[in-house]
Amino acid sequence: MAQEQKRADAARQVPVIELRHIDKYFGSLHVLKDVNLSVQRGEVVVIIGPSGSGKSTLCRTINRLETIDAGEIIIDGAVMPEEGKMLAKLRSEIGMVFQSFNLFEHKSILDNVTIAPRDVLRVPRKEAQEEAMRLLERVGVADQAHKVPAQLSGGQKQRVAIARSLAMHPKAILFDEPTSALDPEMIGEVLDVMTELAGEGMTMVIVTHEMNFARRVADRVIFMDGGSILEENTPQEFFSAPRSQRARDFLNSLGDRER
Amino acid sequence: MKYACLLGRTIREAFVKEYGTCSMSIYALLTQFGDRYLSALFTTYKLTAAAFALAVVIGVAVTVMRIAPVKPLRMAAEFYVQVFRNIPGAALLIFLVYALPYLDIVLSYYVCVLTAITLIPSAFCSEYLMAGMNTIDPGQIEAARSLGMTFAQLVRNVVLPQAVRSSVLQMTNLLVATMLTTALASQVPLNPTDLTGIVSYINTHAVGGVTAFLISAVLYCVTAVVIGQVGSLIDRKVRVLR
Amino acid sequence: MSTANSSIRDVLYEPPGPKTRRRIGIATAVSIVVLVVLAAKVVRQFYIAGQLGPKYWSLFARYTTWRFLGRGLAGTMEVAVAASAVAFAAGLLLMLGRISRYKILRGFSTALIEITRGIPTLLFIYFFFLLAPQFGLKLPAFWKITLPVAISAAGVVAEVLRSGVNAVPKGQAEAAVSLGMRGGSVFFKIVFPQGFRYVVPALISEIVIVLKDTTFAYVVNYSDLMQNAKVLISNYDALLSVYLVTAVIYILINYLLHKLSVRIAGRNRIPGITIE
Repeated sequence: MAQEQKRADAARQVPVIELRHIDKYFGSLHVLKDVNLSVQRGEVVVIIGPSGSGKSTLCRTINRLETIDAGEIIIDGAVMPEEGKMLAKLRSEIGMVFQSFNLFEHKSILDNVTIAPRDVLRVPRKEAQEEAMRLLERVGVADQAHKVPAQLSGGQKQRVAIARSLAMHPKAILFDEPTSALDPEMIGEVLDVMTELAGEGMTMVIVTHEMNFARRVADRVIFMDGGSILEENTPQEFFSAPRSQRARDFLNSLGDRER
Repeated sequence: MKYACLLGRTIREAFVKEYGTCSMSIYALLTQFGDRYLSALFTTYKLTAAAFALAVVIGVAVTVMRIAPVKPLRMAAEFYVQVFRNIPGAALLIFLVYALPYLDIVLSYYVCVLTAITLIPSAFCSEYLMAGMNTIDPGQIEAARSLGMTFAQLVRNVVLPQAVRSSVLQMTNLLVATMLTTALASQVPLNPTDLTGIVSYINTHAVGGVTAFLISAVLYCVTAVVIGQVGSLIDRKVRVLR
Repeated sequence: MSTANSSIRDVLYEPPGPKTRRRIGIATAVSIVVLVVLAAKVVRQFYIAGQLGPKYWSLFARYTTWRFLGRGLAGTMEVAVAASAVAFAAGLLLMLGRISRYKILRGFSTALIEITRGIPTLLFIYFFFLLAPQFGLKLPAFWKITLPVAISAAGVVAEVLRSGVNAVPKGQAEAAVSLGMRGGSVFFKIVFPQGFRYVVPALISEIVIVLKDTTFAYVVNYSDLMQNAKVLISNYDALLSVYLVTAVIYILINYLLHKLSVRIAGRNRIPGITIE
């Protein structure tokens, strides 16, 4: 018992995601400036900042959808290489939910969820389907399983995308502005699923503009501007008394709209 | 379809009324040349099927080269496509039949025809596949990557199926176009001749005239319409909704 | 089309790492070697067959050769332009019939469109070459090639125009009607010009097909580029070189037309319309 506890503690000390000295340029534009970030198991980290601050780029960098010019990405102790099978394997351990859903348009909802487990993890078809149905049930779109993405609403699509990520049993899920492409009335249903996930102890990195949501679910808030992390703070402190001037300006600029 | 038959009949009747003496009745024509027509139809179908199958194989190979990250391959494939999508069929056939022997390459007429009617559609096949691939949202490829798919897996699961599904209509058009291109076979002595060649054959051996033309025309047309209908049926089934 | 291709190519591959870069380097080297060997083989075949001799190529240094080919090309162009014009006029009529409110007219036009699209140009040429004279219809060679080529293209033109008209947002016609315009002028002043603009690239592609079909002019003994090439061949006894140059001329012209069509398509891109 004690030993197990010890091992768990040791595991906790290895961050699920660790970024070390990440630099990235788009041409001459320095979009990520010596970024360091580590995310512990079970932690929910919300990245906020004005548009163009590099928060989305940072999120996409974590599973190397963006190339980096310097630095290291370490997933659960393993360095993510530039290419090859190991890159694919480490990516499969980190889920990703995109702003524009990016469901596979030619596949049914069910197949969207089963395709990666079956082809990447070699899970038998029946098993993958049962699991997929459980996941679709959990995000509330099981009744749509046999439709294709084009027949679903944005909110439903995004919930399917979350189920698709979960089907890979990821060590963490990245959310890149998951509600920005949604009609206002659908934002809630996606945030509810995410809140539930956070409550279940899923490790999450979330880029969002939903400040209320951030305040509610974040264990840690990261404020970015100009390609740098300017502030890491608890949500309580960040929203009531931000340390940096730019964070204060940013929160003020949101005004009453976000409160 | 129904209209096509109706129209065919109307035109024929008009011709028969005006120039009744000039053309044989269908019955007389078919008793005399029925077997030849059957083998002509078969020749056209056979050429169409063979050329289309080869064209798709070559088209896929060329497309793979066109998207390969190897510049010389891309350039060579691009060159191939531009040459064969822009060369007139007659010019290509004449070159194969008359010019190649001067390079000590002598191909049979059949091979010349098959080569000409394969190379041209293969270029278009590649163009259609490229267009089909471009309908895919790049985000899906990122999603596939983020799920841990390797290049081969994402091509197999995401890119190819969507490229193929969204090019069904164009492939159907390509099949019809290939069939129309097989008429080139009438420009070389082939035995049995194809559906176009038989019209000139009958005209030099009898006064088959308009009837011979109409039979071939109807056979081509019916085939084209049937292919078109089947194509849009398949398209409706597999089309990727967006 | 080739301009749009870059998009899929860009996302299909990730920026290569060192291993991939090495592999691409090797593949590049190997493919260069293969291509050079292939090209060398072709040249060697020319050499062995004695086709590189000056006797076969010196004629292209002569002005008269090019003038003669140019005259042939002019013949080709005349047919192509006339056939395109006739095809456009016929295609426009067929399209109007196809979208008319009268069922009979619609059926008739649909049938004609299917017929012209489903029959090879050569068969139409045989019709005008072999059959029409039997009924006393004596056409000059020019029309014997122009008419069948035009008929072959008319159905496609009709369908292309229709797809353009269909792509014009419904609101355009509604707005025109709300301004008090009448049916006919709504169509010809508002809907058709916009639809036409969408399909200019596809129409240019159809001109390429017309131009290709004109090569059948030898069937009816009309002197086009191909026919004049034949004359050159018998004058200089240089078949391979002349046919090769002729083919290159055709390819270049069609290539330029194709590029033009791609360029225009890139400028006024409309979803749902693809050029062929």
